Amino acid sequence: MNKKKFKINANFINNYRAYFFLIIIMIIGIFTPKFYTAFNINAVTGNGSLVMWLGLGFTVCLIAGHMDLTVMYMSTFGALLCLGLHSINGLPYIVCILIATLVGVIVGLANGILVTKFLIPSFIVTLGMQFVVKGAMYIYTGGAELSIGKDYAFNEFLNEKLIPFLPFSAYFLITTLIIFIIMIVFRYTRFGRNVYMVGGNLETAWLAGIKSDRVTTLVFIISAAACAFGGALNGVYSGSASITMGEKGISPLMIALTATIVGGTAIQGGKGSVVSTWVTLIAIAFLKSIFKKTEMQVLVIAVILIACVCYETITLYRRNKTVGTRPNLHKEYLEETGKAK
Amino acid sequence: MSEVKNNTNPGPTPKVDTRKTEINKFSLIFNKLGIWVIVILLAVVGMIVSKGDFFSSANIQSILEAVALIGMVSSGLIFVVYAGNMNDMSIPMTMAMSGMMTVQCINFGFPIALLIGLLTGAFIGVINGFMIGKLRANPIIWSWGFNMLLSGIARVVWGGKQLYADSIAKDTEYAQNAAETFYAIARTNVFGIFSIMILVMLVMFVIAWFIHTKTSYGQKAKIVGSNYEVAKFSGINCAKVAMITYVIDGVAAAVGGIFFSALRKTASYENGTGYDFSCVTAVLLGGVALAGGKGSVVGTFGGVLAYGILNNVLSWIGLGTYEKYLVQGLVFLFIVWLNTYSNRKLGKG
Repeated sequence: MNKKKFKINANFINNYRAYFFLIIIMIIGIFTPKFYTAFNINAVTGNGSLVMWLGLGFTVCLIAGHMDLTVMYMSTFGALLCLGLHSINGLPYIVCILIATLVGVIVGLANGILVTKFLIPSFIVTLGMQFVVKGAMYIYTGGAELSIGKDYAFNEFLNEKLIPFLPFSAYFLITTLIIFIIMIVFRYTRFGRNVYMVGGNLETAWLAGIKSDRVTTLVFIISAAACAFGGALNGVYSGSASITMGEKGISPLMIALTATIVGGTAIQGGKGSVVSTWVTLIAIAFLKSIFKKTEMQVLVIAVILIACVCYETITLYRRNKTVGTRPNLHKEYLEETGKAK
Repeated sequence: MSEVKNNTNPGPTPKVDTRKTEINKFSLIFNKLGIWVIVILLAVVGMIVSKGDFFSSANIQSILEAVALIGMVSSGLIFVVYAGNMNDMSIPMTMAMSGMMTVQCINFGFPIALLIGLLTGAFIGVINGFMIGKLRANPIIWSWGFNMLLSGIARVVWGGKQLYADSIAKDTEYAQNAAETFYAIARTNVFGIFSIMILVMLVMFVIAWFIHTKTSYGQKAKIVGSNYEVAKFSGINCAKVAMITYVIDGVAAAVGGIFFSALRKTASYENGTGYDFSCVTAVLLGGVALAGGKGSVVGTFGGVLAYGILNNVLSWIGLGTYEKYLVQGLVFLFIVWLNTYSNRKLGKG
């Protein structure tokens, strides 16, 4: 066992910045009226859960070194499908959610095949797929808003507290559970480690015998299916879904990206954690209840994102400046010649 | 291959090279002409669908007017993609900010307000260029975050309001005239055929073509885009190239934003929403590789035209706005795949 020396420095703060962000928000919350009430915490975590699914999808893809822009429309499509199948076709909720997830799997599969077999960059593929999903969504609903109708049983189940003494809704707890399951899969299974390796260096991973195409496709499937599933649950949780579900206020894609970057996922891939993204998203959800105005929310979130990007960029710039140089050359010369004191 | 390694064989069997030597004709044609093949195809389809009305001057004018804004922004964005920076996500707020600044400064007279709007775009470009060129930030993440920061600043400063040029202009005749001129630029026809917007788009494409092919900057951008390390070690000032790239992009987006707010008669922080994706769609349709160093301005103009003609043809067929998204996405994916495929077949990608 080699013990690491525990030191609080810039590096330590940078590594755990998501947790520090949450702590700071919680401290500010003390001075905000009606912040630490069970109702507020329940509402904030429940309403913030949709973005957690998006953050999950985005982070998973970014770890594998790809960008998934479809996440936002995928979740909206999932919600619309679930509610539409239930209220129009009269299917039970479990079947509806399964079908929505299946559609997510199909979209993820298409993304993965286009990226790995047709060799188109993931940014372009998901950009095009974004339009396809948006169009499919419009065709399915015709632009109308869908609601859950008169069957409130499942809605009430998602809204009520599963554990009596904790002020969290069942929807939030399901979200948390799945995020932790995916964290365990990514950290302790062979597939998860392969994803990190593919993201870190695709060629090395391929030479090491990892079926990189299959891993990448699976990652896209996980991302899209999780978003569709979460969106379907969100549709039931909030009771209605419309095409502009995700577009009110700040774009959820933007928040997912912010949380992914602030949570410490490397932009080039191969590093990051789903749980850090989740923590950041909780912090952002609480931040929204502190700053009530949308204008201030956007500004504060943007400043945090920019600060993180700037810090990372400047660190990398400084490191790259000294690569291949000998900054202590003069000192070495003095020591060699014995002139150093 | 396994036969060669097998020791029991009496001798190595002569290898037969089964690789194809002739070049794929289709790929060659598509690689040379690029998007113009698609443009001609779409035009033919449009002819059939519209029963001959497609080439009427009114229809062509409507196609060009619909893509004028995208064309203006794309003529600057092509350099960003070409120099290997993937995409500039700060285009929406560059457009919105320049429009808002122009409207806010309308009291100083129209030319000065226009200049201030363009300078806003250039200033945003300088910041982008410094961060991405000098400090090597990730282009997409930085410009996306910067877009959000600008959006926050614009929302806080103007309180989320919409700006109207005629209500901001003072009661003096000079200011009112400036506001009227501002509204008029998006509505005036030159020679009775082309509106100013179309003319400006064409002029901007000509300027972009000139910069791209005739200046040393264009050549440097190609090397920087195709291989950054090679460019660095052959003595090119990569930071300077990125700076110029983003200034061009910012100014082009500012022109687009000013025309946008003149056309809508309002300036607000929501003005350019969606232009980041639609413009990069047009640029990628034109055969510019996302990895950089490949593509041309003529191709991008073709991509912009294809975007407009596709919309027009779909309208002739009778599809609504909603169904158009689906077809657009599928066509976009297909054309980009065709681009990468033909490049790969010719050993270029």
